[in-house]
Amino acid sequence: MAGFATLSQAWMAWDGPAPAPEDAVLDHTKELEKFLAEVERRAFRIAQVSLRDEDDALDVVQDAMLKLARNYSAKPSAEWRPLFYRILENGIRDLQRRRVVRKRVMAWMPGPKEDPDEEAVDPMENVPAGGADAPALLMQDQAMRQLEISLRALPARQREAFMLRNFEGLDVAQTAKAMACSEGSVKTHYSRAVHTLREQLGEVW
Amino acid sequence: MSEQSSFEEHGRRLFEASVENLDMRVRSRLTQARHAALDVSASPRLRFLRLPVWSSAAGVTVAGLLAFAIWVGGPMGQPHHTPTVADTQAGFEDLELVAASDENNAAPMEMLQNDIDFYEWAADKTAAGDSGNVG
Repeated sequence: MAGFATLSQAWMAWDGPAPAPEDAVLDHTKELEKFLAEVERRAFRIAQVSLRDEDDALDVVQDAMLKLARNYSAKPSAEWRPLFYRILENGIRDLQRRRVVRKRVMAWMPGPKEDPDEEAVDPMENVPAGGADAPALLMQDQAMRQLEISLRALPARQREAFMLRNFEGLDVAQTAKAMACSEGSVKTHYSRAVHTLREQLGEVW
Repeated sequence: MSEQSSFEEHGRRLFEASVENLDMRVRSRLTQARHAALDVSASPRLRFLRLPVWSSAAGVTVAGLLAFAIWVGGPMGQPHHTPTVADTQAGFEDLELVAASDENNAAPMEMLQNDIDFYEWAADKTAAGDSGNVG
């Protein structure tokens, strides 16, 4: 058996790279925590806009965090953002697929039809609390609701492009990675989304 | 600043405000989720405990058959009606969504696996011929 100059070389020959020193692991964990803390709230709102359900959005974000940590945390941190949003968008699409299939299966079932996703929304649920800024907050809240309604009416890819570019602030290349498409497609989807949203919201905004 | 970028900026500001106004319950759940992810990242990977990965070709085939069966057949216990153009279009959009497969994702098979309890329940319900409340 050939001799190894260092323990690290011996480890690599046996089973991949040597374990990182403790300090490096700690730094890496801190970096990952910082990244997740930075994106988690915006990711939740993006999921919520698409799924129209708070708990589903929380589940999808949690799943995306776990998958990123489990499968991609060893990647350079500069790659985490598009990867995270790619996982998130896949999760959102999976959930939407499940809803579609469930709806179809429910339509097959005997008896009265109920759609768990069509729960009545309490119009007072998200009204901001009173105070000096209450009217301004209310107007802000209404404007955001209008935007959400218009976003949900967009084709899924246009909605994704708009939210990743505008809400999350990804550049075209990062958005293309997150959406698994070309940069040209991102530009097209985004431009169409903005055009449609402007047409719908221009008057009332 | 152009009219378009002002419009985009307005949308971004509204979104940021809605993020800032998230309630404590959501913030707390997100913090818990982050800590769970960090635990996973810090712990050694146990590859041998992972579930087997379904072959994507088999997954797409099975999901396609299931989708076809559901789409072609009509709902049980409902009078037959001729589908309208809107029905057909909505059906195709749904089918496209369900059948679409993503890179780095086991969909749509994984999606079906995740909902296995629901399908078992639906199969039991149908077999029992239950005409009572569903849900």
